[in-house]
Amino acid sequence: MSRNVLATIVVVAALLLQLTVANRLPLPASVTPNLVLLAVVALALVNGSMTGLVTGFFAGLAADIVPPADHTIGRYAFVYCLIGYVCGLAADDLERSPVLPFVAVAAGALAGSVLYAMVGMMLGDPRTRWPVLSHQLPVQVLYDVIASPFVVWAVLRLTRRAERQHDPGGLDAVPGFYRAR
Amino acid sequence: MNDTRRTRAVLGVLLLISLAMITVDYRGGEHSPLRGLRSFGEAIFGPIEDAAAAVITPVGHALDTIIGSPDAHRRVDRLERENQRLRQQLRAQQIDKSRAEQLHRLLGTAGLGGYRIVAAQVISAGEGVEETVTIDAGSGDGVRTDMTVITGDGLVGRVTQVGPATSTVLLATDAASSVGGRLEGSGEIGVVRGTGRRSGSPLTFELLDSTVEIKPGQRIVSFGSQGNRPYVPGVPIGTVIRIERTPGSLTRTAIVRPFTHFTALDVVGVVVAPPKKNPRDAVLPPAPPKPVTPTPSPSNPGPSNPGPSTPGAAASAPTRRAPDEPSAAPRAMPSGEESASAGPSRRRRSATSTESPRTRRTLTSTEAPRRRGPRTPHSPGD
Repeated sequence: MSRNVLATIVVVAALLLQLTVANRLPLPASVTPNLVLLAVVALALVNGSMTGLVTGFFAGLAADIVPPADHTIGRYAFVYCLIGYVCGLAADDLERSPVLPFVAVAAGALAGSVLYAMVGMMLGDPRTRWPVLSHQLPVQVLYDVIASPFVVWAVLRLTRRAERQHDPGGLDAVPGFYRAR
Repeated sequence: MNDTRRTRAVLGVLLLISLAMITVDYRGGEHSPLRGLRSFGEAIFGPIEDAAAAVITPVGHALDTIIGSPDAHRRVDRLERENQRLRQQLRAQQIDKSRAEQLHRLLGTAGLGGYRIVAAQVISAGEGVEETVTIDAGSGDGVRTDMTVITGDGLVGRVTQVGPATSTVLLATDAASSVGGRLEGSGEIGVVRGTGRRSGSPLTFELLDSTVEIKPGQRIVSFGSQGNRPYVPGVPIGTVIRIERTPGSLTRTAIVRPFTHFTALDVVGVVVAPPKKNPRDAVLPPAPPKPVTPTPSPSNPGPSNPGPSTPGAAASAPTRRAPDEPSAAPRAMPSGEESASAGPSRRRRSATSTESPRTRRTLTSTEAPRRRGPRTPHSPGD
């Protein structure tokens, strides 16, 4: 159960940091790293697709209703749920590949923006137009990849600590790449 | 153990739930049953965001100071020069008090039609393509949905969602936002649309009448919505910096530089009581479509279209600048040029319309020298 509590804490923290800090950063191209997405990807990579999709759904729902959100409720829930599931499928390979988190984050950021925009286009949202999207996508992916080590590292560390306390000698979810630190 | 039948079942259920929510919320629009969910989010997360902002804002200010240092130097420089110019203008202004009062009334910011505002601070910003912010004033402070939000400089946007202590503001630069605007001087009306921060020019202005001449440097104020909601009249929106012409299009699009510094919003005001008297009525152009005389404008060699104009037709069309249009418009035009711009065609139009042409002439000629004049939309009593 502590795993669920942990996931909740990570998602809420990511959401708050996203809204109060990241979105107001004066970064070039007016794009900001998507911390909520990163948190979902990291949790899915560590805990598998079940946790990934449930976390993604609730993180997305929170992102949908938290102020100042002003889009149709359910859009992020749908997108993050899918991404959580897909990234969770790759959880077993986390042990073997040190670059997997980065690939997963890059793919997740790309898929997240495209899916979100596609749902928006279907609903006739004037904000998601192709010219805006094509400018934003590469920068968004780049920022997410740059920010990913911090988020993934934080999540892994928290998980390791929680598992050491509650489940000594249990699942070894920490991959070799991060275990060295 | 990772991809079991159970996992897929849960995935399917959750995806269906989210699709159902999207459908319900989209079909419901303003009266969607899921609005309650959003109010819940506002009530729960609003105070948390508020607290987080209180902790983080000082850090952000410190960072801003470091990052914005070169920018700040430039700004200090610019402000000093501006200060000099204003001092000289002030001396000139004291001679002509009656004209200053007219300008006050034109902008709806003084005396008769003052706005009552609630001051608030921006505590968080929307993510991705959404240009929304949360402010720390809610229903407890008298804020309701569809109220105008302004700064000392001009229009910010409108309130879309209200919580107990926080509310959400849709910025005018958001692509989903459109505001009725009025060209100062000529009184022509049009629509100011947001195009997003990323598109380079955050606002565009589309005149309903394509034959009307727009000049760079002309200012736009809000036209005011029915019942003063969501937009009250007379709020300064921005300055026209250049005009984009689309050959064959019915409308003409101007690129507008907003007065409000949208990337550095901090303290804003929510207009809780609109001006008692609409200051705009006296300068409104007549509403019914009138026979428009095709204006022979020297800078437009293309076929000018005098037909009935439809707003929004040219919004999505690719725009091209006419070859003889100055690419970078001068920011402040000399006053002589400005008043001369209301050439013979302008005067003829005024004469055919029902309102007094004299008012317009005076306003046009007083407008330019006091571009930086008093337009702070606080009422003096505040």
